[in-house]
Amino acid sequence: MSEIRRESILGLDNIRLDLPVAGLGSRSLAAFVDYLGLAVAFFAWILGALFLGAVVGSQWTPVLVVAGLFLLDWGYFALQEIATGGRTLGKRLLKLRVVTAEGGTPGAGPLLIRNLVRSLDFFFGPLLMAVDPLSRRLGDRLAGTLVVHERERETAPVLGRVPTGWGARELAVVESFLARARTLGDAALAREMAERILERIRRDAPELLAGLDLAADPVAALRQALQAEEG
Amino acid sequence: MDYARFVRLRRPVWEAFEAQLAATRRGLRGAGYGTLEDMALRYRQVLHDYALAAARFPGTTAARRLQSLALEGTRRLTGEGRRGAAGGLQTFFRRTFPSAFQRQLGLLGIAVALFFFSAFWGLTVAVLRPALGVTFLGPEAVRGLEEGRLWTESLVTTVPPSFSSSRIATNNISVALSAWTGGVLAGLVPLYVVLLNGLMLGAIVGVTLHYSMAGDLLVFVSAHGFLELTLILVSAAAGLSIGRALVAADDLPRALAVREAALGSLAVLLGCVPWFVILALVEVFVSPSPEVPAGVKLTLGLALEGAFLALALRPVPLEAMP
Repeated sequence: MSEIRRESILGLDNIRLDLPVAGLGSRSLAAFVDYLGLAVAFFAWILGALFLGAVVGSQWTPVLVVAGLFLLDWGYFALQEIATGGRTLGKRLLKLRVVTAEGGTPGAGPLLIRNLVRSLDFFFGPLLMAVDPLSRRLGDRLAGTLVVHERERETAPVLGRVPTGWGARELAVVESFLARARTLGDAALAREMAERILERIRRDAPELLAGLDLAADPVAALRQALQAEEG
Repeated sequence: MDYARFVRLRRPVWEAFEAQLAATRRGLRGAGYGTLEDMALRYRQVLHDYALAAARFPGTTAARRLQSLALEGTRRLTGEGRRGAAGGLQTFFRRTFPSAFQRQLGLLGIAVALFFFSAFWGLTVAVLRPALGVTFLGPEAVRGLEEGRLWTESLVTTVPPSFSSSRIATNNISVALSAWTGGVLAGLVPLYVVLLNGLMLGAIVGVTLHYSMAGDLLVFVSAHGFLELTLILVSAAAGLSIGRALVAADDLPRALAVREAALGSLAVLLGCVPWFVILALVEVFVSPSPEVPAGVKLTLGLALEGAFLALALRPVPLEAMP
């Protein structure tokens, strides 16, 4: 899996926040899904207008078709983003969201602007996104917006006890291992890795292993030793 | 501070903030002042914890969890968010639209001057070379003029009026939107829209003068023409304001100048949309109707123009001005 591009913004109190910027690939895929949705919406509206026309009078059918298609054409993206705070069907599926350049929720004005220039972005958008570190198309530049990846809440285990002298690297490795230990296909490999970490704990802080049965289930023993809880 | 102690001490704050974010998932509108104040305080604490975790414990679960919390909090608690539709519309037409319209009066003046220049040019060409009328109107319309009838009759005779009006409204709005969005190409598209419309109008008047049908044409356009041209020129001026910001950003960073121009001119454009719909109805149901006297059509046209200008030029409270 490729790394997500991150761009730093300065938040409140000048604290640096890394925005997980969505690149050309994920945004193009979301747009593809959205245009499929738009095609379905067009088709459904025409059928609906034919049905409604039969009910209210056939002279209104062309009006319903023309007005509906016009509204869908110009409003499909903008209205979805305004209603959901920056997401369309495609963005929802790919877990993307439009935010302001400061990471906040954009208002209706910027969301309208970025979508009204969509027709120009067919020509200029991909090139602009490819050369911009923030992957902004023309509409984003006009509206002052970005598209970012949305992440699920972190649920990996957090260590409740840590051997003296362990740094961030060791902590991250052990937490990462404990998060994946249950899903590792090779149980013997998981056991071996747990034993190695226990060996290191025995060297750095043997008091953490007091009273634990290390032989039966090393992974469970490791969890107990470090009081790892779900995050 | 060691990692375990940091997590133990600060975790209740993170969990409380997570719970508040979950409780206000549908928006902050219903949250009371106390809740908002509490959330703002916790958001700040989470940001500071994130700064510490990112520096001291990068890559750990706590640092990643704080990062996603900080980003979520920033998104939810900052930015513009959503406003109520009804109150928003009233404020828009009472303050936002007039204020934005009045800010671009200078550009509107330029658009009007260019329009009349190209209209005069089109009129001159059509009067001197009536054969060029075929280029502007097409052979069918010119044949109709030779037989003493305007091409505008087909608006209601070939298709149902309701269809014509919806086509006219959507077409005019599309032209206005294109003129505005094209402003981002250094103002070239709105310039093209202004010059082309002026040229076409001048040429069409010239051709109808040649066939002694100019009076009929003026009767036809009198109900909707004034405002329709005004709206097209206003939309083009809105596009020009984006082009101007792009070319001459003054002392602002170019990106910021363009963004501000786009936001300001969007208000002008949106303020024009309802008028386009009204005009389409007039253009189909009033303008071509021989039963409506010319005087009534002219009065209606002037009244519509007056109503639009009265709304756009209404005095704006000082606090609504930038």
